Amino acid sequence: MIRLAFDIGGTFTDIVLHDSDSGALHVAKTLTTPSDLAQAVLHGLDDVLTQTGTEADEVGALLHATTVATNAILERRGAKTALLTTEGFRDVLIIARQKRYETYNLYFHKPEPLTRRRHIYEVTERIDADGDVVTPIDLQSLDSAIDRVMAEGIESAAIVFLHSYANADHERVAVRHLAERAPSLAVSASCDVSPRIREYERTSTTLANAFVKPIVARYLDTLQDALAQKGFSAPLHVMQSNGGLVTPEIARDYPVRIVESGPAAGVLLARHVGQLESTDHVLTFDMGGTTAKLGVVDDGEPAITSTFEVDTVDSRRYSGLPLSTPAIELLEIGSGGGSIASTDGHTIQVGPKSAGADPGPICYGSGGDLPTVTDANLLLGYLDPDYFNGGAMTLDIEAATAGLQRHIADPLGLSLEEAAWGIHAVANTDMERAMRVMSVEKGRDPRKYTLVAFGGAGPIHAARIARSLAIPRVIVPAAAGVGSAVGLLTAEARIDVTITRTMVLDDSAADGVAAAYTELEALVAKDAPRLGTEEPILSRYAYLRQAGQGFEINVNLPDGRIDGGYVDQVVEAFHTAYERDYGYRDEASGVEAVDWCLAATFPSATTGKLETKAVTQQASSRIEGTRDIYLPESGARAPCQILDRAILAANGPLTGPAIIEDPESTILALPGDRLSMSERGDVIIDINVEGSA
Amino acid sequence: MNDANSQSMGGIAPSAEDGRNVRIDPITLSIVWSKLLSIVEEMGGTLRRTAYSPAVREGDDFSTGLFDRKGRLIAQGQFSPAHIGAMPNVIRNISKYITIESLVPGDVVLFNDSTLGSGHYPDFFLIMPVFIDGQLVGYSGATAHHIDTGGATPGSQEIAGVSEAYQEGLRLLPVLLFRAGELDEDILRVILGNVRVPDLVQGDLFAQRNSAHVGMTRLLAIFDEYGEELVENTFDEILIASESRMREYIRALPDGSWEFEDFLDDSGPGSDPVRFHVRVTVDDGDIELDFSGGNDQVSSGINSYYNFTRAWGNFTAMALAKAIMPQNEGTIRPIKITAREGSFFNAVHPAPSGGRATNQVRLFEVVNGALAQALPHRAMGAFTHWSNPNIGGFDDRKGKPFVQYDLLFGGYGGQHDKDGEEGMAPLMNCTNIPVEVYEHAGPLLVQRLELQADSGGAGKFRGGLGLRKDIILRCKEALATLLTDRRKFAPFGVFGGKSGEKTRIVLTRNGEQIDLETKETRTLQLDDVLSLRLSGAGGYGNPAERDAWRIEDDIADGYITEEGARRDYGVEIQDGKVVAPQG
Repeated sequence: MIRLAFDIGGTFTDIVLHDSDSGALHVAKTLTTPSDLAQAVLHGLDDVLTQTGTEADEVGALLHATTVATNAILERRGAKTALLTTEGFRDVLIIARQKRYETYNLYFHKPEPLTRRRHIYEVTERIDADGDVVTPIDLQSLDSAIDRVMAEGIESAAIVFLHSYANADHERVAVRHLAERAPSLAVSASCDVSPRIREYERTSTTLANAFVKPIVARYLDTLQDALAQKGFSAPLHVMQSNGGLVTPEIARDYPVRIVESGPAAGVLLARHVGQLESTDHVLTFDMGGTTAKLGVVDDGEPAITSTFEVDTVDSRRYSGLPLSTPAIELLEIGSGGGSIASTDGHTIQVGPKSAGADPGPICYGSGGDLPTVTDANLLLGYLDPDYFNGGAMTLDIEAATAGLQRHIADPLGLSLEEAAWGIHAVANTDMERAMRVMSVEKGRDPRKYTLVAFGGAGPIHAARIARSLAIPRVIVPAAAGVGSAVGLLTAEARIDVTITRTMVLDDSAADGVAAAYTELEALVAKDAPRLGTEEPILSRYAYLRQAGQGFEINVNLPDGRIDGGYVDQVVEAFHTAYERDYGYRDEASGVEAVDWCLAATFPSATTGKLETKAVTQQASSRIEGTRDIYLPESGARAPCQILDRAILAANGPLTGPAIIEDPESTILALPGDRLSMSERGDVIIDINVEGSA
Repeated sequence: MNDANSQSMGGIAPSAEDGRNVRIDPITLSIVWSKLLSIVEEMGGTLRRTAYSPAVREGDDFSTGLFDRKGRLIAQGQFSPAHIGAMPNVIRNISKYITIESLVPGDVVLFNDSTLGSGHYPDFFLIMPVFIDGQLVGYSGATAHHIDTGGATPGSQEIAGVSEAYQEGLRLLPVLLFRAGELDEDILRVILGNVRVPDLVQGDLFAQRNSAHVGMTRLLAIFDEYGEELVENTFDEILIASESRMREYIRALPDGSWEFEDFLDDSGPGSDPVRFHVRVTVDDGDIELDFSGGNDQVSSGINSYYNFTRAWGNFTAMALAKAIMPQNEGTIRPIKITAREGSFFNAVHPAPSGGRATNQVRLFEVVNGALAQALPHRAMGAFTHWSNPNIGGFDDRKGKPFVQYDLLFGGYGGQHDKDGEEGMAPLMNCTNIPVEVYEHAGPLLVQRLELQADSGGAGKFRGGLGLRKDIILRCKEALATLLTDRRKFAPFGVFGGKSGEKTRIVLTRNGEQIDLETKETRTLQLDDVLSLRLSGAGGYGNPAERDAWRIEDDIADGYITEEGARRDYGVEIQDGKVVAPQG
């Protein structure tokens, strides 16, 4: 079968065509068209079909990752949205969690909410923490709220009542009334979108869903129509933040679930590569133009987080808008190729400011005048000025030299080479720090993990970061520059459902746990017919904590009948997970459950399988040669071998230093590293096995 | 040692220079410094995730630090400013009681004394010396606010009715909790025998030890990677660079001397207002905050020991200088905090101090007020203050006792270019407690949690609104300890900005409304409604200069009423629009 995957990123839209009969993978990149995202997709698809001689109706599956929801939030370009909430709690959204993202900064700005206070309407009703009705819903107050929604020309409404995770009746009443009185209004109720305790996070999530709902629906309509016009008859699937694909119908209902669509697909690629190269413990490292994104695969499964923030300031906690939807855990830091280096006269800092793609690094010659990581890498000899982006761009080495001299070398009294090395090394230290947060600080021993590096800038830095954390092996997969698009080809249809049922896990808990899973299975059954005809594979997990502590951890739970013995297994699973994260067991205090979750995956012929034999790319391959590069190990510039994947495959394992040039990324192996090519075309770097000087 | 992995720059020759042994190249300095900061963050993560104390978990009321062999603070986690500010003197303070030369590997020092630590007993300081081959090379430490240290009331932070520190619970001068790696069970028994929740206190002490241990392990790895001499020289360089950066920030302020005063409502029901006064002097890269002109120490649990005054003085100087930088001994060298001995700001043992946290806001605000003339672009209207009510008792519905710790924060004052942010922690940097979580924990139902229209001080840039939280008691009886302020002295505005509305605490019982004081303790009965209405924050600039569209927006959003607009801005409003500007 032929499958097409396309991932819209900030700068490029990546397209991959995979033919399962031949195993051939064809890769293409086209510039993203921000004003009309579908345009770049269609243009790129046309090109790929032409280049591979494929007809649209031969394509059996269309897999899609998109930034449409993310951009609508970042740019506040969503619908005019109202929030209906419990009387007396109009300001939950405005107040938020009240913490500064920088303790010493009293001149911050809170993130701009997705609606204004004037569009937050109160409804008389109240349910308490046990789910009991304290004040029945007052239909008159509901109607007058709906009157105002209609009078204000609102396009989309979110409904969030207190404790609705425990009793959704009042929210359901409000949904029904809105549907009757304002049928054209898009409605999102928190009991559907995110039925979890903590009202601010639930409100933020539900409101975000409402805010992007119309724009995502319009986008998917346009895309589906256009695909049909082009003659595609295959079903379209959309990637969610949790790494699972869904149909456009589900994405329309729950667009907040597709916010981290592309990055999630990138982690799936890393998982896939790990599987093929026989490792199920993977740290993922995706370094692009503005940021580096780190993820983890444990036991073959990407680590999942229950809440993340969108639109943050430098990825700082409490600086963005929280979204409580299951998502592949990613740590994003402001270290990318375009990150700007600066100095205070004592030290070098890199990022978080980025020159991005526009104006970009100085060496792009498109107006950037501040030195970036890419400029430093160019001056160190790691990048070839004549072969950037597969030769599509020429880099201006003189301008980069002048910029580094002026902004870093001169103020610090360093030579040009020292300044360039300093920038590279500081960027590495920042990424090492983030990688430690994802690994060591969460109980993961880096020595047991493989680093899968991709993105345009990742493979230059990966070998050195791996060394600093004693990660023994780096893999740079084939088609590393379009990682998320390839990752889409490995994804399965999946939905995650979550519900809050707080309880202490003691002898009497079994009924409560069983009831929670009965509710969750019903939620899955509701959406299952929209995802496929086959029975889903269900896996349970939960957010549990030591009674008395404030942080829940994600614990995978066993299958099986839920009875007293099952609760014991849950408690044991918690202690094991807790010990892994924190290094000790505390069985004396009880275990408390907060959220119960169920993942349903739908294996199918159109998704989830990827076997590749050959990778073809738009750009031509590179010739063999040498170039002088700077490495601190040698203390001065020294010749380094330059080769491409084909030559590495032909010549067998060799010892670093070496540079491998792909059209979309450059791989740097250090002295003592052993480089080889795996059967499926991934570059393997075994770190420091030859013994360095 | 110094191998290729260390990412150091081999090519730069060390050179002797002012005060340094050798000059460290900027790349090694950048990288080692970054690694040290990563260590103190990781120490904080370890502590936060495994702690039981809500103050640690929700409020980041702790800190972590690494010290060199001379006891100089080299790197510090950016957590509670109160703890951060107390850290630089920690090793010096320990050495008054324990001979440093007698310490051996595996020893762990612990204390909570108010004069040595952060100014009240709940804050425990735990310090672990770090050795290489029997030679002391530094210290790793973690501090944490514990849930209880005994004394008159749960939580050990009572203000009213406490007249001596001896009523505030266990006072621990520096002792060894671990000796050569072995827990001293006797010391532990003394501690646990004096606190209300021994299991939790023990858990948090061990969480602190885990945190210090992480710090020690990683500090040793840096010594191993770079070599002792290079690391120690880098420590010198870090302090020199920090001091010089801090001086640059202070030099950007105009030289001069300014003073300001403001008051706390009282130091407990029926007592007099407490005068805060500061004289700020900026002189060519040095800044002094002198609080000597303020009140004498008082006989209730609210005195600010010098360490606490200095901690928030340092914070204030750095925040107003916009010195966003990692802290260590170097950063505070240019800051001098002065307070007369025996004053409220440099209390003498056994002055009680459990509830001293309420002072932090006012300490900042008097400095802000003093510097306003010199720093119009940094000064701001006064905060809405904050409230830290605790309600506890026996929940007869569920048959178990409960204690509900709570935090209420309102808005910031107006600033030179914007209205005060709504609903933010003022100086301490905590999250609130979600209503849904709060109601799970006990027999309390929140009736409303909202911003109060018209409570913010008018101005060209309006002060943030006061927060209102109404709580109804659903069990037979409970005890409420209130802790807030600004009922008698409204949060001031600056440059013509108006003051915010004052705080009100209203207890509604059987239809009757009773006004409560800000620091009293009250018994609540079934169906009582306790309404906490925080003051509004101060405005910035003349209200007459406020843009009409801002007034219209505020009306549309309900931050002000039309009536409020007429009264505070002197404008006429029709259909939500300003039709006749003041004049």
